[in-house]
Amino acid sequence: MIVTALVLGPILIGLALYAIPKSADALARGIGIVVAALCAIAVILVPGAGDASVHWLARPFDAAFHFGYGPFSYWIVLLLALVTLSALTALRVPRSRDFTAQMLILLGAMDGVFLAKDLLLFALFWDLMLLPVFLMLIGWGTPAAGHGTAAWRYLIYNLAGGLCLLLATAGFGVVHGTTDVIGNPNSGVAIGEVWGGWIFAGFAFAFLVKTPVFPFHTWMPDTYAELPPPAVAVVSAVQSKAGLYGFIAIGLLFLGAQMHDAQVLMFVLGIAGLLYGAFVALTQTDVKKIVAYSSLSHLGLILIAIFSFDPTALKGALVYIVAHGLFSGALFLSLGYLEAREETRSLSRLGGLGANNPRLAGALVIAALAALGLPGLAGFAGELLIITGLYHAGFLIPSILALVPIVVAAAYMLRLFQTAMNGPQRLDLPQRKDLTWIEGLALVPLVAGLVLLGVDPGPLFTASGTETVSVSALR
Amino acid sequence: MSAPYVSPQDLGTIWPALAIAIASLLALLADLFLPSGSARRGIAVAIGIIGLLAGGILTAQLYGHPFIAFNGAYSVGGFSVVFSEIAILGAILTLALGLGIGRDDQVAGTTALLLWSTVGAILMAGANNLMMVFLGLELLSLGLYCLCGISARRTSREAAMKYLILSSMASGFLLYGMALLFGSNGSVQFSDLVVAPVNAMLLLGAGLFLVGIAFKLSLVPFHLWTPDVYEGAPLAVTAYMSVVTKAGTLAVLARFAYAALPVQAATEILIPIWTLAAISMIVGNLGALAQTDMKRLLAYSGIAQVGYIVAAFAGQSALGLRYAIFYLAAYTFMNLGAFAVIAILSNSDGIISIGQLAGLAQRRPWLAGALAFFMVGLAGLPPTAGFTGKILILASTVGAGYAWLAGILILGTCISAYVYFKIVRIMFVRIDEAHVKPLAIVHNPLPWISVAVCAIAVFALGILPITPSDVLPLVR
Repeated sequence: MIVTALVLGPILIGLALYAIPKSADALARGIGIVVAALCAIAVILVPGAGDASVHWLARPFDAAFHFGYGPFSYWIVLLLALVTLSALTALRVPRSRDFTAQMLILLGAMDGVFLAKDLLLFALFWDLMLLPVFLMLIGWGTPAAGHGTAAWRYLIYNLAGGLCLLLATAGFGVVHGTTDVIGNPNSGVAIGEVWGGWIFAGFAFAFLVKTPVFPFHTWMPDTYAELPPPAVAVVSAVQSKAGLYGFIAIGLLFLGAQMHDAQVLMFVLGIAGLLYGAFVALTQTDVKKIVAYSSLSHLGLILIAIFSFDPTALKGALVYIVAHGLFSGALFLSLGYLEAREETRSLSRLGGLGANNPRLAGALVIAALAALGLPGLAGFAGELLIITGLYHAGFLIPSILALVPIVVAAAYMLRLFQTAMNGPQRLDLPQRKDLTWIEGLALVPLVAGLVLLGVDPGPLFTASGTETVSVSALR
Repeated sequence: MSAPYVSPQDLGTIWPALAIAIASLLALLADLFLPSGSARRGIAVAIGIIGLLAGGILTAQLYGHPFIAFNGAYSVGGFSVVFSEIAILGAILTLALGLGIGRDDQVAGTTALLLWSTVGAILMAGANNLMMVFLGLELLSLGLYCLCGISARRTSREAAMKYLILSSMASGFLLYGMALLFGSNGSVQFSDLVVAPVNAMLLLGAGLFLVGIAFKLSLVPFHLWTPDVYEGAPLAVTAYMSVVTKAGTLAVLARFAYAALPVQAATEILIPIWTLAAISMIVGNLGALAQTDMKRLLAYSGIAQVGYIVAAFAGQSALGLRYAIFYLAAYTFMNLGAFAVIAILSNSDGIISIGQLAGLAQRRPWLAGALAFFMVGLAGLPPTAGFTGKILILASTVGAGYAWLAGILILGTCISAYVYFKIVRIMFVRIDEAHVKPLAIVHNPLPWISVAVCAIAVFALGILPITPSDVLPLVR
């Protein structure tokens, strides 16, 4: 029951929040924080493979309400709970009751994506995840931007992906007879030649859009810039992993042959995104967009790691998935603090904040260092494993190209930090107080995770749920 | 030929239709003895709803008891029962959401017409030969011609005129097709048509018949009347047409596609109709993009939604029929739910532009939430019956070998997202309190109950997709 509760609980509580008075913002936010904390505690304290499968459809194919941990999902779900906890604690957003409700629905829907053991259920939560983000974009986006373009791009792009996923799921169900398959090694029946290509194409399109991978990324910078900071922390930290998780949990298990066929294409897309994201991040002036493009670069690296089919690289992908979640969450929250204080996101207007805000500068520098892969922090461990794996698997040129954005990352992350925090103070900016202790405390889970995993990423490979990746598709 | 004798069992099959017909007469009769005032409205609507409920209960008892009555003219059992129930449900919700149609002194008459139209839809659902199809269709349409023009507005009369002329022309096509089908094998029975020799006359007849059906379903390119008529007609009539007319006609199409065509030629004859369905999904949604009036928007969206349902028939698989029925039920609840929200927000003519919905979430969060939920359902997103219905239709079309149709369905749905989420967006974007337009709100509980029933049904059907198992044997 506990895994199902992890999915349905936040959604139901989120809906129930609409029943409390509009003015009870603090109460709503408190409930949200407690729910996120309970989710994290539940994941840590109650391990286990999952819940019983409850029959849903018998025709046209078998489908079930079946929740449990798939490959990697234990860590992603824990990450999700922690980032949501941090995000809700960190920042106040206007109309907190509605916002918290949407955040909880998003939390539950994403839990559903990572915990669904049935493909149809996976597709259901995949589409459900769109709604809270769309509502947050139109409800809390910048009015000047017409409340619209970012929300539309997000919705149409991701819905196109989601519908292709749905069609592929239908095809999979018709061919395979059942969709109750995720994380079940015994059901790893390869899908035949004729249908397999189309089914894989449908899944792959959805995954590439959601991640996003170059050239399907055009919705991302706007969405990340427009979303309020707590939401963007969660979306960039966890929602962007849904596609990568899909490649691992569905692609590697059932469509191994098609994954191998697509290897070259995915390498090309991944490397293109890796380089493009890094160099575009160098030129951005909107601080959130810098981090958005850096995400594009980092996610491209994880994509290559998955498609190298090398066990070491795949381990690295897991570490980097978690690490990226932690540091991009921390980065976006720090930038949220910055935006809340200075009322601008433009690098050309920021400067010299470090003098009066040492704690804010400290928070930002830790997150930025993790993002640029400083040894001792989790990002480095992931990058090292991935590049070693790529090299061992014989992908010499990709492993060299993968080094380039790591160097560039140092440039754009330091540029971000230096311009905003160092230099002479800008007198035209509002002077606000440094981080409060609660704002600092909110970042503790993320920073602690970065340090712990940077020193010893070992626990990631031992805890429940990961062993299923040692799979047929790997060579 | 058996003797023209009507057995008690034959009569038993049309009791549901008779009950509704009797209720309509009672509504007219009761109206004569009532003083003018709102009591007349209440009594007429009450009689109408009770009659429809009785008809629904009687129909339900026929489920699982297949019987072919009146010398093969009329058949009852699973298939027709489900379509009849959807038509009855649509009629009940229509009466409830608008509290009858027209002024207080018109309501008895309009209710009677509405019930007669519903009888027509029920006869269409059970029609087992060409004559019965025509009888049902005309009964359905005649009431609607009057209902469309019941409002005093000029556009209402224009809509009635347009509907009368164009619909009559479609009936002409249908009738001509029927004549040719009859000419090709000398029988009006669907069961004789199955074994008829395939010749040019039969093909032409089937083609004209399908043109007539496509017109009544407003499939592209026979859809141009729909937006104008929907816009002009009173709101409740529009709601009724968007569901009941389509349910009745879909039943005829299903029976024609599944059980009335020579096996060797069925696939070729039907390819045009799948193509029309595919075009409707795209053109209907594209047309809806540009609309600013809610009724016109829902008219275009209905064109596309019917395309989805017809696509489920592709390949004439048993599962496809079940899923088409499921999606039709889902569509009924989603569409009538949306109409009920509009009915609460607007005057009886239901003229409401999308701009008037701005800031609704600030003023009326529950209504805005309900309308958003129905829009999410029509767009095919979870957790609604629209999502479940769509996955079922996708699976059955892919399974029947019509993957291209499934692909177009996806494309159409993608376009439709913009249409439906445009409404969600305008309701939920924050605007200055000063700019929120006050809307007249109907306080009678019946429309509110309709909204609640529809919302619960859309959610429940999404989680537990119940499809009628007993459909196919009855078709043949």
